[in-house]
Amino acid sequence: MSRIRKLRRRALVVSGVAFSAAIGLAACAPPGSDGADDASAPLTGDPTCGEDAVVLNAYFETGFPLPSALADEFTRQYPNVTFDIREDQFAVITQNAPRTLQDSPPDLIRLPQMSELASDGLLLDLDPYAEAFGWDAWPASQLEQMRVDEDGSRGDGPLYAMGLGYSMTGVFYNKELGEQIGMAEPPATLEEFDGYLAAARDAGITPIAQFNGGATGGLAFPLQALMASYGDTAAVNDWIFQKPGADIDTPENLAAAEHLAGWIDEGYFADDVNSMDYSQMMSRFVNGESLFMFNGDWESGNLDTQMPGGAGFFLMPPLETGGTIGAMSAPATYGIAATAEHAECAAFFLNWAATDEQARTIEVEIGGSHPMGPADGFMPEVAEGSVTAATLAAGATISEANGAMDFIANATGSIYAQSWTPNLQKLVAGEQTPEGLLESVQADYESQVGD
Amino acid sequence: MIVSRREKIIGRTILVVLMLVTVLPFVSLFVTALHESGSYPQGIEWPETPHWENFVLAFQSADMFRLLGSSILIELGVVPAAVLLATLAGFGLGHLKPVGARAVFIVFILGLTLPFEGIITPLYFQIRDLGILNTRWAIILPLIGLFMPFAVTWMRANFATIPRELSEAARVDGASTWHLFWRIHIPLSVPAISSLAILLFLWTWNQFLLAIVLVADPAQRTMAGALGAFQGRYGTDIPLLCAGSLLILTPTLIVFLLFQRKFVSALLQGSLKG
Amino acid sequence: MPAPTSAVPAPGLGGDARPRRPSSGSRARSRHRRLGGDLLAYALVAPAALFYAFFVLRPIVTSAQYSFYDWNGVSTATWVGFDNYVAVLSEPKLVGAILNAFELILYFSIVPVGLALVAANLIRSIAASRLATAARTVLFIPQVIPLVAAGIIWSWQLSSDGLVNQILRAVGLDAVTRAWLGDFGTALPAVGVIGAWVQVGLCLVLILSGMTRIDASLYEAARLDGAGPVREFFSITLPGVRQEIAICVTVTVISALASFDIIYVATQGGPGNRTLVPGLQIFYLAFFEREIGTASAFSIVLMALVIAVVLPLQRLLRGRES
Repeated sequence: MSRIRKLRRRALVVSGVAFSAAIGLAACAPPGSDGADDASAPLTGDPTCGEDAVVLNAYFETGFPLPSALADEFTRQYPNVTFDIREDQFAVITQNAPRTLQDSPPDLIRLPQMSELASDGLLLDLDPYAEAFGWDAWPASQLEQMRVDEDGSRGDGPLYAMGLGYSMTGVFYNKELGEQIGMAEPPATLEEFDGYLAAARDAGITPIAQFNGGATGGLAFPLQALMASYGDTAAVNDWIFQKPGADIDTPENLAAAEHLAGWIDEGYFADDVNSMDYSQMMSRFVNGESLFMFNGDWESGNLDTQMPGGAGFFLMPPLETGGTIGAMSAPATYGIAATAEHAECAAFFLNWAATDEQARTIEVEIGGSHPMGPADGFMPEVAEGSVTAATLAAGATISEANGAMDFIANATGSIYAQSWTPNLQKLVAGEQTPEGLLESVQADYESQVGD
Repeated sequence: MIVSRREKIIGRTILVVLMLVTVLPFVSLFVTALHESGSYPQGIEWPETPHWENFVLAFQSADMFRLLGSSILIELGVVPAAVLLATLAGFGLGHLKPVGARAVFIVFILGLTLPFEGIITPLYFQIRDLGILNTRWAIILPLIGLFMPFAVTWMRANFATIPRELSEAARVDGASTWHLFWRIHIPLSVPAISSLAILLFLWTWNQFLLAIVLVADPAQRTMAGALGAFQGRYGTDIPLLCAGSLLILTPTLIVFLLFQRKFVSALLQGSLKG
Repeated sequence: MPAPTSAVPAPGLGGDARPRRPSSGSRARSRHRRLGGDLLAYALVAPAALFYAFFVLRPIVTSAQYSFYDWNGVSTATWVGFDNYVAVLSEPKLVGAILNAFELILYFSIVPVGLALVAANLIRSIAASRLATAARTVLFIPQVIPLVAAGIIWSWQLSSDGLVNQILRAVGLDAVTRAWLGDFGTALPAVGVIGAWVQVGLCLVLILSGMTRIDASLYEAARLDGAGPVREFFSITLPGVRQEIAICVTVTVISALASFDIIYVATQGGPGNRTLVPGLQIFYLAFFEREIGTASAFSIVLMALVIAVVLPLQRLLRGRES
């Protein structure tokens, strides 16, 4: 009997091995303890794309034709380089960026907020290329927003991204609807603006087309515009760049948030703003259903095509005539994964995009944005009276006034989807107060930056 | 049975209403797909000019041939292997019943209610360390493992219901275990095996979470995963999204309508036996 | 529908007759065969067990391990004890996700099972008609298509310009129309409608097939006794399809607690986290916020929740039968 029992026990052991062998592999060492090495080879000579066939692995944003147009032009000029492009909506890229950069490194990627990506060593330090290509000689302000120091705060430290054009935001308006309600020219003060909003509503027009659905809280655009009217853009930038002690919950920003809440209460946004997505907003604005839209110059070319002569643009007006102005304005950032296969060629492409005449023309005409690059860089002719001309002029104004801010949604990797968006949606639904909005965002910010 | 006329009318009305509720969304999807790309149509509204080219456009944008090819490759990797492993294990646990079979079976049963989200995080790192991230293997291998609890339970139940007398008679005639398995049990198990294959086929085809987490390239994913990618990319263009969704759904619907009897009974048994 | 989650353990299923001793041959031979048989049996089970162990059990164990660390997936992790569990069970957003999942049970499970039960009872008399056969096929379509597709289809129907509002306007209910998935009050029920649409067909067909097994003479007898349809339903039909109801409830409850696909495409958890569920929150935590530890703790909690809900349900609904 005992022998049988022993044998039976052995049979059980055999079965147990199958399970436990595999499970046992989950060792007890803390995960992630094997140190990563990221020794990047020093640059030798001028960076190029070489002569051999190169396929650049790119990850771009859906709905923005600029990067693909640049890629096509680049392939035309350098036939050995082709692009393998994957596209997603920005919210999806935001979710995928850390994983993608780490485990399937793209040569070029449209970057969401980058400070955590940079401090985790997922992005290539572009300073060697900046030196080799002479980017240092450009106006320093162009690159500041893309520098990240060791603590993850931005504005200083190594360069981790480049812009394909420099975007500007403000308020687009429908000229015909504007005339209907007696708006002869863009408002000069916030009070005038409020007057036009009320007039539009009373005329049965939805005053503002704005997206705020899904994972993208588009009310961040008007909110930040109002912050610029009420307060100082430098303070907002400090917060976005994660400067120590920065706080979004200031009296000026609270006034801005209250003003936004006032607009919501007055019914200046569409009823379904909380489910409207970006292209729905565009469709309604282009079809003349709304007078205003808070958006950026990346749509200038599109609007010039879709409603030629019918759309205008103005910067968010200050509280009083002649007051300080500001605007969310930032490079459309593209980075290179730390372990990208063709980093050199990708960097060469980024430099080309800022300096080549054809590339700069494409950036203005298709991208609607001011190209990066030297202050005296080539600029194509732009038709007078077009939206593109208006946004380019506004860019110059903001630059003179030193009023450029990065986007408040770019303060941390998840602040937009996890904090601004739900809180702005709650604000619309009356489930959040302006005070609560800022407090809640600040609390999330601190827990994320504290890491 | 006594059936009044009124009962019949009520029954029919209810059935028709239920069928309408099921089908109308598809009709709406189809009509919307015919609107101009980039527009925002209103509910069900026949367009002035039907834009049939949306289907061509979606077919090309979604790269349908590659998607189909990828899904089929994944099916080929998962279904035969999973059915084979489950059949062997089911025979072992359900017919041979070795000492400790019950304990082993309970371990399998534990996996039956497991939500995939529960293990997706560590699975990602495990797949990465195996170096198969972004390949079809990243979907195939875990799916085989994840299907085991159900598939083994299913096949075990099948073999357990085959009358022992058959096997005993064969044993007396000196049949080997192999002979018993291959000549007696397998022929009797064909209905169970084919139902299992259908269920696994469907669940693989529709697998979403593993696809979007473990594979970045939609052309290496399952159909459902590819649909997710299509939505991520064209979600803002309603007519195109509708056209693409219909195209991606079509193969499943065709297969379902062809084999509907088998599908329905497999799904019913699947939930009954599980 | 997510695969194994749709399958449910039946306690004591196939409740095995103990293996019989071989009826002939000496003891030594039988011992020998018994042992050889056991080894062979385990050899047959081993491949399945290995896949299961490596791709299911191992990740569960690793999940448990990760859940005690603060880890971003890249740098070295630090031990934090039960902090992650405390976060999961105390942070309003995470607790909210769990509560939302429980609310979804109402729409994913109770509504479709109830609807299916009522409908099945009403169409029982014509269950064999051609219309019913056609309905069986049609009502099964939502079960066959990917949940993602159901999400995409319905997020369009439920949008401000969608079919639902169109119908409401047509019948003069303009005041009710809204962007159903974007409204705080209706977003979660609207997601629930999608789930109910998917589940009701399966439940109906299952329950109906159960009803056809009920002996028709029971109804005849009841009618002769003067029982009304309501009493008939409660004293004959309901007990007769008890097992089918148990299955429907279990399958749909799991699909509610572990929902992901539909919400991922329809609302991404919005507006304002109103439709955030554990599955989506785990996905966000792990791959977006890169809080691997919190995500793992949440995974463990989710698995425990599912078991904690399903096991008693099984007892309650099926227990006495076995």
